[in-house]
Amino acid sequence: MVEIKNLTKYYGKNPAVRGINFEIRDNEILGFLGPNGAGKSTTMNIIAGYLPSTGGTVTVNGFDITEQAAEAKKCIGYLPEIPPVYPDMRVEEYLYFCAGIKAVPRKDRKAQVESAMARLNITDMRRRLIRNLSKGYKQRVGFAQALLGNPKVLILDEPTVGLDPTQVMEVRSLILDLKKDHSIIFSSHILGEVSAICERVVIINKGKIVAIDTIENLENSMVAKTQLQLKAEGSKDTVLRLLKDIRGVKDVTDITYHSTNLYGYAIEIASEDVRNEILTALVNNKCNVVELNMAKLNLEQVFLKYVNDKTEGTSLQDLLAETPDNGDAQVNPYDTLYNEEEA
Amino acid sequence: MFALYKKELQSFFFSPFAYVLTALFMFVFSISLVLSIAMMEGTSLLKFSFPNVFYNNFFYFILLIPLLTMRTFADERRGGTEVLLFSSPLSVPKIVAAKFLSVATVFFFMMVVSLFFPIVTMIKGEVMWSSLICANLGFFLWGLACIAVGVLLSALTNHAIIAAILGEIIMEGLIFLDSFAGTALVETYPQVNSVVEWFSMQRRFVYFSQGLFRLEDLIFYITVTVLLLVWTILIIEKRRWTRV
Repeated sequence: MVEIKNLTKYYGKNPAVRGINFEIRDNEILGFLGPNGAGKSTTMNIIAGYLPSTGGTVTVNGFDITEQAAEAKKCIGYLPEIPPVYPDMRVEEYLYFCAGIKAVPRKDRKAQVESAMARLNITDMRRRLIRNLSKGYKQRVGFAQALLGNPKVLILDEPTVGLDPTQVMEVRSLILDLKKDHSIIFSSHILGEVSAICERVVIINKGKIVAIDTIENLENSMVAKTQLQLKAEGSKDTVLRLLKDIRGVKDVTDITYHSTNLYGYAIEIASEDVRNEILTALVNNKCNVVELNMAKLNLEQVFLKYVNDKTEGTSLQDLLAETPDNGDAQVNPYDTLYNEEEA
Repeated sequence: MFALYKKELQSFFFSPFAYVLTALFMFVFSISLVLSIAMMEGTSLLKFSFPNVFYNNFFYFILLIPLLTMRTFADERRGGTEVLLFSSPLSVPKIVAAKFLSVATVFFFMMVVSLFFPIVTMIKGEVMWSSLICANLGFFLWGLACIAVGVLLSALTNHAIIAAILGEIIMEGLIFLDSFAGTALVETYPQVNSVVEWFSMQRRFVYFSQGLFRLEDLIFYITVTVLLLVWTILIIEKRRWTRV
């Protein structure tokens, strides 16, 4: 549906986006992740036709965004980071205006405006001046605007910012519902939200794509092959002694209490083969194994691993708040998370 | 494009803005009219004409135009609504045209309202409508060129008030261009003098105010307006490309 090829954007001499390639497939929700200043909004602005690119092409539904701008833009509904609403207009009046500039046929405008208002639950606010609405409602009015013209592609730049938890859930289910007949590119700072609704994610850092895949594949690709998570019944001391007697076990890094006589262990091992030895040793000593699996990173950890290449101990919040500088030191994502927890 | 034009017009007429400015316009006009009538005493009746009232007062009239145009693009940038327009299927020329036409319509509305005075005069006396229409046309054309200047300035900044102040300065410059051409300094260089005079909008308006319609002047005003609008389009496009 949308194809981005070798997209480049310079602001003066500063590169914001450097030769990125990806596509948004039909009826999929593509998550767009990256720290602030990574080039997310710039890319979204270019796809929406607001900013021209310095190089590369964007094709929307077969139309080039530069060469066939009007046709391409008719296929796009765009909700920017700050909802583009006029404070002096009433909600309904604003939506009719948006339908007008999006060239929605006159006979269809009423139905589309009504449907957009109903979907975003703002029908009760139709006569209110936008300036008097809360931030969350302004965001919803901006979202309703993006749905007008029934565009095939929806570009949503942090659509849940400023919404209360109930509204966030409503918007999430709306996005999932919209997936039926739209292709959606969706950026968010809330990684849990991205993993809840997106099938694939693009992770962008310093204007370059650092990862692009399904969430499952990304998480699997980051399986820490030398770490096991064990949950076993039995005395902590017995289990630790048994583990230390096994040659392939390098270290037991973390022990967590679950319930009486049930503990969790993070075990560093030399190779995957050690798993069987551990199992046998525990079973022979009547320590029931409740759980034994390879340590797997979640999307948050995958994201940190890809974008956090400098400061040890940088929390996720810090990372999302500012662009990391260039740096060579690799950081263990676990360290980052532990530090965050301690803080 | 019509949707944007309509929205712009509504922003003028659904707020006190257009009415306050029209009231000011009428106020200045009526003072000028009363003064013209007062000064008529003991002199020839021929000295009084509506075109003269216009001619004596466009210093004030023209200063109203930057107030009309200051918000056209500056407010869109400031409020973040520019992104809505530029990501819509509307092209930049259409956006500029819609905004220009909406201000031109408000200006036309003010001109129509100003016909109140000749209509009242007509009840008790005689009005030379042909001459009046010609002067009004000239004034409207000059107004269009000034509106194009105002829209251009509004596209240059995201502060409406800066656009208005710059507009006032340029409008005054345009008004004094004629006086500048008449100074001894410029007159000593005939070629400079002729160039300055050629650009003087006021000089061209004089012909209209005297009831003289010249195609040359009509083309001049339209060309200046169109060139300024094209310049506005280029400025907006340039900013989109080079936004730092």
